[in-house]
Amino acid sequence: MNDDAADVQRVLAGDVDAYAALVDRYYDRCARFAVRMLGNRDDAEDALQVTFVRAYRALDRYQERDRFSAWLYRILVNQCRSIAARRAHREKVFVREEAVLLNAPDRSTSWTGEDEEFVQRVLNELDPLLREAFLLKYIEEMSYEEMSTLTGVGVSALKMRVKRACDRLRERWERIKHD
Amino acid sequence: MTDSDQHPYVEWIAREAQRPVVTDQAARERIMMAVRAEPMPRRRTRVWRRVFEPRAFRLSPIATTLLAAGLVGIGVITGKVVNNRGVYPSVGEPKAPAVVQQPPVSPDTVVKFVFVAPQASKVSVVGDFNGWNATTTPMVRTANDSVWTVTLPLTTGRHVYSFVVDGSSWNADPHAPLAPDDGFGRPNSVRIVGRGSAL
Repeated sequence: MNDDAADVQRVLAGDVDAYAALVDRYYDRCARFAVRMLGNRDDAEDALQVTFVRAYRALDRYQERDRFSAWLYRILVNQCRSIAARRAHREKVFVREEAVLLNAPDRSTSWTGEDEEFVQRVLNELDPLLREAFLLKYIEEMSYEEMSTLTGVGVSALKMRVKRACDRLRERWERIKHD
Repeated sequence: MTDSDQHPYVEWIAREAQRPVVTDQAARERIMMAVRAEPMPRRRTRVWRRVFEPRAFRLSPIATTLLAAGLVGIGVITGKVVNNRGVYPSVGEPKAPAVVQQPPVSPDTVVKFVFVAPQASKVSVVGDFNGWNATTTPMVRTANDSVWTVTLPLTTGRHVYSFVVDGSSWNADPHAPLAPDDGFGRPNSVRIVGRGSAL
């Protein structure tokens, strides 16, 4: 029995605090996905709160043959979709000037708040479904099979979404270069 | 990034996005507070797990066909029953408004209908109280010769009606408010009958 399964058993046996171990283990990773997906920390925190509480409520339905992380991610992805859909009509993403990137000499080692903000804005420009596929593939480094199980979308459709996301980013770079 | 042929810009975006985000310890504590406020999840017993667990069934093509036919049959029968009960009126030929089942008529709710039609050879009143049937309630020409009347016992409440002249011409009562359009293009009037209405 792995750590996750043992913690789930402890929770189901009445030890609520064992759930804190699961929250600690997965919070940062889930937070990264939620922030990158939703584009701001407030919405991401809402998504995380609902995700972990829903997972707790449904813990008796968790099957040990599944990976807890995949099960939790499935709830998180759905929650992010719901929040994104709710706010879609009331929010518009404003794109910042691209000068930050153009003037940057070498960003492979540096990390500033400005970079993070810029990357987030670039991600926000992607269509949510493309962004979701891109994040799961290249940020969470999942296989297409894992992504398919998690999203309920076929492998070929997911490959297409990832490709289109990469194409959009490449086109964006070309625009920046020629402007 | 796993794809070696990926564009450097895309790689850069992915690499930067992989960096962890700064998280708030207080947010984790809020989650645990919310979790502690929830009822305890319990491990289901073997019996309940068997009930709730999803399972796959294998059906032969014949069984699948029979099952599909059965479901269609149930749908058709249910639809007919529902339609017969008038819950969902069928779409198609417009029909006269249905007669509303009324409570027993009290003897003092009697209403007199009056319509002036000097040229008419026959006039009747039709409404929700007689199934909109032009032959059920003929009116009588008075001595005045141009005024047609009929007196009917009606239940208390709202009644919609019209006068039919010579079997084909529908006319609203000029002395009563018009009813909302019934969808048939006919002018109808409304009369509210209260308890103890006089003529």
